[in-house]
Amino acid sequence: MTSTATRRRGRMARNWLMFAALAGPNILLLIAFTYKPLLQSFYYSTLQWNIGSSRAISVGLRNYTDWLTDSQTPHVVGVTVVFTLATVGGGMVLGLSLAVLLNRRLKLIGPARTIVVAPYVLSGVAVGLLWLFVFDPNFGIVAAVLGFVGLPSPAWYNDPQWALVMVIIVQLWKNVGYIALIYLAGLQAIPKDLLEAASLDGAGPVRTFRRVILPLLGPTTFFLSVTTLLSSLQSFDIIQAMTKGGPLEGTTTMMYEIYREGFVAGRAGYSSAVATILFVVLLIVTLVQMRFVERKVHYA
Amino acid sequence: MTRFRLPIGGYIALAIAVAVMVLPLLWMLLASFKGQDEIYSLPIQWLPSSFGGANYQAAADAVPFGSFFLNSLITTVFGAGIKIVLGLMTAYALVFVEVPFRKFFFGLVIFALLVPQQIVIIPNYTLVASLGWLNTYQGIIVPGLASAFGTFLFRQHFLSLPISVLEAAALDGAGHWRRLWAFVVPMSTPTIAAVALVSVVTEWNEYLWPLLVIDRPNMMTLPIGLTLLQNTDGVTNWGVLMAGTVLVTLPILIVFFVMQKKIVAGLTAGAVTG
Amino acid sequence: MNPRSTVFSSTLTRRNLLTLSAALGGTALLAACAGPSVGDAGQAAASTAPAQDWTGIKPASSITWWTNHPGASMATEQAMINGFQAANPGITVNMVTAGANYDEIAQKFQAAAGTDSVPDLVGASDVWWFRYMINQQIIPLDGLASHLNANTADFNTTLYDDYKYADSHWAMPYARSTPLFYYNKTLWSAAGLPDRAPATWDEFDQWAPKLSAVMNGAAPLGIGKGTSWAAWWFCNIMWGKGGAYSSDWSMKLDQPETLEAGNYLRRIINDDKSAAVSATDSTADFGAGLSACTVASTGSLTGILASAKFEVGTGFLPAGPKGAFTPTGGTGMAIASSKSPEQQLAAGMFLKYLTDAEQTATFSAATGYMPVRTSAMDGATMTAIYAKKPQFRTAVDQLKNARSQDWARSFVPSGDKYLTTALEQIMLQNSKAEDVFPKASADISTSYDQNVKPYL
Repeated sequence: MTSTATRRRGRMARNWLMFAALAGPNILLLIAFTYKPLLQSFYYSTLQWNIGSSRAISVGLRNYTDWLTDSQTPHVVGVTVVFTLATVGGGMVLGLSLAVLLNRRLKLIGPARTIVVAPYVLSGVAVGLLWLFVFDPNFGIVAAVLGFVGLPSPAWYNDPQWALVMVIIVQLWKNVGYIALIYLAGLQAIPKDLLEAASLDGAGPVRTFRRVILPLLGPTTFFLSVTTLLSSLQSFDIIQAMTKGGPLEGTTTMMYEIYREGFVAGRAGYSSAVATILFVVLLIVTLVQMRFVERKVHYA
Repeated sequence: MTRFRLPIGGYIALAIAVAVMVLPLLWMLLASFKGQDEIYSLPIQWLPSSFGGANYQAAADAVPFGSFFLNSLITTVFGAGIKIVLGLMTAYALVFVEVPFRKFFFGLVIFALLVPQQIVIIPNYTLVASLGWLNTYQGIIVPGLASAFGTFLFRQHFLSLPISVLEAAALDGAGHWRRLWAFVVPMSTPTIAAVALVSVVTEWNEYLWPLLVIDRPNMMTLPIGLTLLQNTDGVTNWGVLMAGTVLVTLPILIVFFVMQKKIVAGLTAGAVTG
Repeated sequence: MNPRSTVFSSTLTRRNLLTLSAALGGTALLAACAGPSVGDAGQAAASTAPAQDWTGIKPASSITWWTNHPGASMATEQAMINGFQAANPGITVNMVTAGANYDEIAQKFQAAAGTDSVPDLVGASDVWWFRYMINQQIIPLDGLASHLNANTADFNTTLYDDYKYADSHWAMPYARSTPLFYYNKTLWSAAGLPDRAPATWDEFDQWAPKLSAVMNGAAPLGIGKGTSWAAWWFCNIMWGKGGAYSSDWSMKLDQPETLEAGNYLRRIINDDKSAAVSATDSTADFGAGLSACTVASTGSLTGILASAKFEVGTGFLPAGPKGAFTPTGGTGMAIASSKSPEQQLAAGMFLKYLTDAEQTATFSAATGYMPVRTSAMDGATMTAIYAKKPQFRTAVDQLKNARSQDWARSFVPSGDKYLTTALEQIMLQNSKAEDVFPKASADISTSYDQNVKPYL
């Protein structure tokens, strides 16, 4: 009895040691560079602290109330919501349509698949710079194409709404191929006999798509909705390279506001407060997403 | 039924999709050969008058692209490489090493995905600076080394592995360490390829963090170096800037096109099991 | 079976692991020490430290200089370092490219505070040096300048006093620019106008329809938007009408003169259509012939001459009823407070060298920035430049109209952003000045109360 208990305890200790050896470094790194700074950031959010200063003043929750009562806040939240919904929702719809197209047996479909994903691997800064030039209303390619069909170029850089549309387009251009590729894999994983069965039952293509294909793509949709939501809410490089949040703050998302308040205005405490709020929102949205998906999607 | 008809609609849609993806890149490439006056001309001039490398020369003269490239390579290889190893080890421990509270540790790893980089950037900068790691490779690499996304994907994949193979290996006396590298890893190459691609792309394109911790040109990575070409107090020299952009995007595009089969297979395999 | 796996298992011993965990745990502990010290309110920034006595201090042997090489001046700056090191064999200067622009330098300098990577000499642009000062990151230079006999009286007064607060100067002018009025001589003569910039904004109003007539109805004046820019050149219109953003710390945005200036801007863009806001780069648009004239920095001269296919004229910014004024911009150089007096002395010696009459003329000739010393403006180097690029003379002559910036824009965190937002509403959305300036005024006051006042 005692010897088995000792042995079990010994095995447990060995397992713990093994666990620590394997998972320990990663977990310690996460603690040192993610969780600890996260807590520090919570603390900073209660300070009036100009970045670079060795002095700070404790202000309690003033940074939070300031943000919540700032007349610009509804606008920034609106921009964030539009940008996120358009890039996540639009990205999924476009990506799925593209995937259906790429799933057809056409000639040259292989190279086409590769080309469509290519922008995903490019640097956000490089993408922003190159589209800055593409969208130039006088010397850019978009204006030239629109001019060809007799349309004037929208004021991409002077109209806050068009500017937002512009950065959404660029974000979509960069990521839609990746979404399509993941959906394509999901489509190809659907057993052929299921589709044949549906077709034998007399279901048309639209019905098959809605009743058979879409539900089977559930796990893929969930995976994509989580990853693209996280990357959209944290999107920074493209906005920084193209509009720097302007004109008239038309492209200032919460993420960009955090950067600008913290590093351009130097208000580290205020910036940390906005970051904390964004973090909490992100947390809630993801949890809701998981709940929702858990109920809706049954995993195979 | 449609087998004998040419699917014209499909080809048109495909052509449009490809054109939308390619045209901006082509525009960048063409602009990189144009002089100031060709770029700022109305109506726009599509083709450069010559394909001389003057803008590339100017970009290379203004900033050391050679060392940018080397730095990007070093930080990418080490950053992505170590990250994958850490992810594999963690996922293995979470799935195959039986200890209590595994769920808690898994949660700890997954939860990190929700922490935006910008929220931790100020404390991390202070930490890296106090370690004397500014302008060093470890300063760029270490804070982003921990694997959360990779661990998540690896764990999902490991859960689907046939447990019998590993049990047989254990009976043969193979320890955890051997089981991981000799059995689990070879059975996971598509997922590893997927995580590797995402890690390599992320490291190569990383912008805000290296921008902060690096201030010497000889230590800068390509995306940071690229912004040095943006003239602040003059006319934007699009030709030179686009030449720089080509130099930044070309290497990763080449890697992507050369390895596209593996990458596409890996990306998709990783996601579907997720 | 697999040889690699055995290598791995033998290298990963328990002791290695313990060391690794200790190292990682150690970093976590270390991080706890960093961060600001928290008090109720700051002490006065300027008066805490007693004035340094420089006598008897020996300069350090090595200093670090953070610069963004304004005007693509890396080679010129290296040449100046070589000259300094030849004259002072005991001191080495390490030049560091700490950013692509003034803002990046400032971000890094502030982030580096409290670490040992702080430079000795650092770029301090017109909108950043004050922030360094209230953060106690830089030292006043008056004592050091007089110890080193760096004839500060020879500096252009406006350029030097841009860095003055609480009776001390916190930086020395280095790469300084002003906006100029650029015009397209071809269009000018087509419209039958005299070959000069309009003397006043009233005259511009009279000329604009004539220009518009030869441009298919396009707006003759192209102007730029965005932070660090719109609220800068607008000073010219505003001051000319007798308005101001602020006077010391009291806001002046609600004054009738300031409102009138804002509404003038609204009118020329939205009613008269004699001015238009450029999409990305107003200087590029001008160079391509899209606009007949523009307001751009002196530093853009070389780029404009390179891209323009027509003859480019330059002139002073037009005057208003209350006179002709121009803001100045660019960067100065400041000395870090966290360094030893020996380091600071060596940095001061280098700074004196960088800003002496000969170097400022050399730098000016290479970049297009203005010489910062009165004696240099009429020296041999500059005279040779004027002969080659007569447009350059305009910039130097216009310095007599230079005026130091209003504190609301340059000293208050986000001040420039709030002003830019208001001006963009006026320019892009046809808002009336009285509808948008009050909000900018309130925002700036709040920012001042929260971020500046407690530390003064």
